[in-house]
Amino acid sequence: MSHLKQILEKGEFAVTAECGPPKGADSEIVLRKGDLLRDKVDAVNVTDNQTAIVRMSSLAACTLLRGAGLDPVLQMVVRDRNRIALQSDILGASALGIGNLLCLSGDHQSFGNQPQTVGVFDLDSIQLLQTVKAMRDEGTILGGDRLSARPDLFIGAAANPFADPLEFRVTRLAKKIRAGADFIQTQCIYNLDRFKTWISTAVDRGLPEKVYILGGVTPLKSPGMARYMKNRVSGMDIPDEIVKRMEGVPKEKQREEGIRICVETILRLKEMPGVSGVHIMAIEWEEAVGEIVERAGLLPRPGF
Amino acid sequence: MITAEQKPIDEIREMIGPFKRILVLGCASCVAECAAGGEKETAMLGSALRMAAKMEKKEVVIEEKTLDRQCVNEFIVLLDDTIDQYDAVLSLGCGAGVQAVADMFPETPVIPALNTEFLGETKAQGLWMENCLGCGDCMLYYFGGVCPLARCSKQLFNGPCGGSVDGRCEINPEMDCAWQLIIDRLSRFNALDRLEDIYPPKDWSRKQGSGPRKIVREDQQR
Amino acid sequence: MYREQQITLGLFYCQNVPESREENRQALEEEFGKSLRLFPIPCSGRLEPVHLLKALERFADAAFIITCPVGACRYFEGNHRAKKRVERTRKILSDIGMEPERVGIAIGSKEAPKTLAQQAREIFREISLLGPSPVFGQE
Repeated sequence: MSHLKQILEKGEFAVTAECGPPKGADSEIVLRKGDLLRDKVDAVNVTDNQTAIVRMSSLAACTLLRGAGLDPVLQMVVRDRNRIALQSDILGASALGIGNLLCLSGDHQSFGNQPQTVGVFDLDSIQLLQTVKAMRDEGTILGGDRLSARPDLFIGAAANPFADPLEFRVTRLAKKIRAGADFIQTQCIYNLDRFKTWISTAVDRGLPEKVYILGGVTPLKSPGMARYMKNRVSGMDIPDEIVKRMEGVPKEKQREEGIRICVETILRLKEMPGVSGVHIMAIEWEEAVGEIVERAGLLPRPGF
Repeated sequence: MITAEQKPIDEIREMIGPFKRILVLGCASCVAECAAGGEKETAMLGSALRMAAKMEKKEVVIEEKTLDRQCVNEFIVLLDDTIDQYDAVLSLGCGAGVQAVADMFPETPVIPALNTEFLGETKAQGLWMENCLGCGDCMLYYFGGVCPLARCSKQLFNGPCGGSVDGRCEINPEMDCAWQLIIDRLSRFNALDRLEDIYPPKDWSRKQGSGPRKIVREDQQR
Repeated sequence: MYREQQITLGLFYCQNVPESREENRQALEEEFGKSLRLFPIPCSGRLEPVHLLKALERFADAAFIITCPVGACRYFEGNHRAKKRVERTRKILSDIGMEPERVGIAIGSKEAPKTLAQQAREIFREISLLGPSPVFGQE
């Protein structure tokens, strides 16, 4: 079912992009974003109430994209659902033809627009991976009950090479692979040196033979955005020279500079052993994705 | 111990508004240790409420008493002789204390003066930290003596998340990342390999599976 | 208009304050009569909010503490604690709608030490504008 899986298994350098569902019930916005990404990327991640802000459900938006002929990656966080709801949604997603699932813990509820809610965190992201894998490969849910039909899902996980403790980051990646991850999408990469350290440790441990790693990139829109991400977003590593580059161009050229940095990063990632693709998170800027992919020499995409 | 903090005085005054004879009831156990509901705090609250009533020219009787332990019947029965003098009890016990007093005196309204907070440790004078959730199935051995359930904001059993930076939690940079503490401690004991295993989903039935929990110890019963 | 003497001050003081021996205390009490109730304490760190509150509740229009100078506490941090407790008491007073200025602290100075009597007079001046406490009614 997963187009992304086919691309990666063929050994092609994969391209995925992120699509944030609207803060409303408007399907047109989802479909318009889908149109922007069609034929530019192999699969589209749909965020699950990202930064703990209420949006259209990822499952619904994925279904809309699937109907429009795209290959959606359902992002699923453990913050909002207990194991009953998680397993139920996994079955539903597969029944609706969604072929990819990304297992996440989710941004903490205190960051969003419902800070008074309760965080569920019944399972963590690694236990969720394990659960999905058992549903798919064993046909069983937690507790051992058998499914009448197994979900067909390509299972993903996130990794942040830039968080601490550094020495434990690769251990955790290995744990996610053991739990069931088929592919990994990383936190946005700006510090290529630190990313290289991380990926070569992973290569030394033979991990890219067991999992496809897609490097995450986010085009910067302004020096302000760069500074905000550097100073305010935990686990985000933006070197000073990137901030300086963004500051060094006139306002009307800033977005162009952001795209240029992003394209350069992708070109470096393409050459790096252990990297199987790129994941472009253009936050509320899906229009930029096509240009980035084209300038990185990644068009045309292989057919569906 | 159980930690608590006094409710805002406005909220307390609103709740005791309808009553004329009020017993302000402290507890000399946990809530005294965390300076929320001991004898001293009970005296302060009583005094403040009496002054507030006088300023509003309200005729009320507000008296204080502190029990050694408000959650144990042997101590609550000490109120037997005097409880009828009051038409409400304002309790500075924890939630268990408030309910124990209410169970003993079904005819008397019992009003909470505190917000009960958590099972905590007195880290320093005037500083209490939450470090136990009372999950009914202690995992501290496995995690080197640091509970990821109580001390990791996302309750990760297989952490740390991507927000751990310089040993700090992304929710609040003043807070330690519990997972950094776990890793530091286990590496000190050469037990880091324990974290190579995937910790399985928690059995929450030990905490809330069959409704409110109770402990029955035959050997302790009459 | 009211006279200064109509205000009653509950005054706690650290026994290390200059000229605060028993005979000084008696002289002051004679001078101020019922307007001044003095409470010597071995260290201002022993003062609790409940002491200030009880004074205000029972007889005083204002309740103050005089401490030894910062850094001169023979128990190291007594006057530092007293300051925090006065702040806490002030918060309680504003919560019940009473002027927080009815409690206060006078911290001694190493460079220009003042006697108990001098301090007491200064505090009386400071509180003279407050008028009688609302706790005891206007009549």
